[in-house]
Amino acid sequence: MPASADAIVAIDDLRKCFGNVEVLRGINLKVGKGEAVAIVGSSGSGKSTCLRCINRLEEPTTGTIRVGGQEVTGAKVDLNLLRQRIGMVFQGINLYPHMTAVGNVTLALRKVAGLGKAQAEQKARHHLDLVGLAHKADSYPAQLSGGQQQRVGIARAMALEPQVMLFDEPTSALDPELVSEVLNVMVRTKEMGMTMIVVTHEMHFARDVADRVVFIDHGAVLAEGTPEEILVSPQHQRIRDFVTRSRA
Amino acid sequence: MDQIARYFFDFSLMSAYWPDILRGFLITIEMSILTVLIGVPLGLAIAILRLYGFGPLNALIILYIDFFRSIPQLVLIVLTYFALPSFGLVLSPFTATVVALAIVLSAFSEEIFWAGINAVSKGQWEAGRSTGLGFNQTLAYIILPQVVRISIPPLTNRAIGISKGTTLGSVVAVPELLNVTSSIQSNVANPTALTAGALLFLALFLPFVRFTRWLERAYAHPRS
Ligand SMILES: Nc1ncnc2c1ncn2[C@@H]1O[C@H](COP(=O)(O)OP(=O)(O)OP(=O)(O)O)[C@@H](O)[C@H]1O
Ligand SMILES: [Mg+2]
Repeated sequence: MPASADAIVAIDDLRKCFGNVEVLRGINLKVGKGEAVAIVGSSGSGKSTCLRCINRLEEPTTGTIRVGGQEVTGAKVDLNLLRQRIGMVFQGINLYPHMTAVGNVTLALRKVAGLGKAQAEQKARHHLDLVGLAHKADSYPAQLSGGQQQRVGIARAMALEPQVMLFDEPTSALDPELVSEVLNVMVRTKEMGMTMIVVTHEMHFARDVADRVVFIDHGAVLAEGTPEEILVSPQHQRIRDFVTRSRA
Repeated sequence: MDQIARYFFDFSLMSAYWPDILRGFLITIEMSILTVLIGVPLGLAIAILRLYGFGPLNALIILYIDFFRSIPQLVLIVLTYFALPSFGLVLSPFTATVVALAIVLSAFSEEIFWAGINAVSKGQWEAGRSTGLGFNQTLAYIILPQVVRISIPPLTNRAIGISKGTTLGSVVAVPELLNVTSSIQSNVANPTALTAGALLFLALFLPFVRFTRWLERAYAHPRS
């Protein structure tokens, strides 16, 4: 585990309550630069909530989160500036249906990063090219397959050159034959040195691509380690059960 | 047959009263356009205000909407024209009718826009906000364009329905189309003028209906 000083993301005793249900019960997690961390765990264990606290789509109840050394939590944070540095890819993809692929990518480049029209367009096309969709830049989401849509989703987040990318089950909504094209893009994203936190049910991805696997159970980190340690020869019965179920 | 023609399509009568009929028609057009131009944007503004969710204000908004959706347009026009002067606000028959109809249209459009806002998935907000767009930016660039698209068909129906209410302006003596043509009818005991009026209403609303169909298509997402 990286020392806290050079961690891109550092989560310290994160707790989150919905009403009086404590969904996150003291999460600690550090992610180093260029590291890809897979978060796994059974449904309802709090993986999405944890991820969404990092860019404050959910408001943490207590605890601190730092991204790039800067505290995310706290009243004086410029949320929009912060979010520009944290990319997010959704299970539901959430492309803007009324804009073309390139329009989806340029929007934040223009309105948030403040690039001019030509510059934003050029950058957007570059990032669509990186996900293999240069030829679909002018298509609307409805004209793209689910896998292509999600690759646009990745390009949209990556174009802002974030310090970390958050993926919340990016392939769960896709037909099985479309999963690999998205996973391949994620592998390339990692190879470009991007820091990534990936909530996933894709055990192949967790095992073959992630540097580290974190197993969350009932709102707390039950175990973390190399994919080998967590997924191949797990120490906990709960994780063994989970891995067996995932294989089935 | 001949009798019907003479009774409903008396061209000499039509040409004699043509200037009056035309003036009435123009007033109807003017009132319809003003009603839509005021009512629809006002409805959108109220829907957006409601989205910001200031508790007491929202209660007021809902009261406004429910009240003006319930009250008959005719009653509201009469009230606007005859009751407002006792509060020191004297409106011309024309203005009173437009104000009353625009307020009713704003209440209905607000509901339509509000339903549209709620029909856009939460994921669209999250996607926008996660890239660093602010609330207002997300609303303006991502949510509202989708809301407008969803809202056009029901909005069209409402706008046409309420614009037809301009005929109610005759009760406060606006010389609009129906008023002009029906008084000609009673003066000369021949409904030809009403026929002309009906044709002109068609001439007004049919293109409007066609235009909104075109709008619907223009705003539709391209399909694969
Ligand atoms: N907005 C909310 N209000 C109330 N409860 C919520 C809310 N969001 C999540 N929860 C609850 O918090 C718990 C954790 O949810 P979360 O979505 O983080 O789980 P998850 O590990 O991502 O599950 P999955 O694998 O099904 O996506 C669940 O019990 C869920 O019902
Ligand atoms: Mg989840």
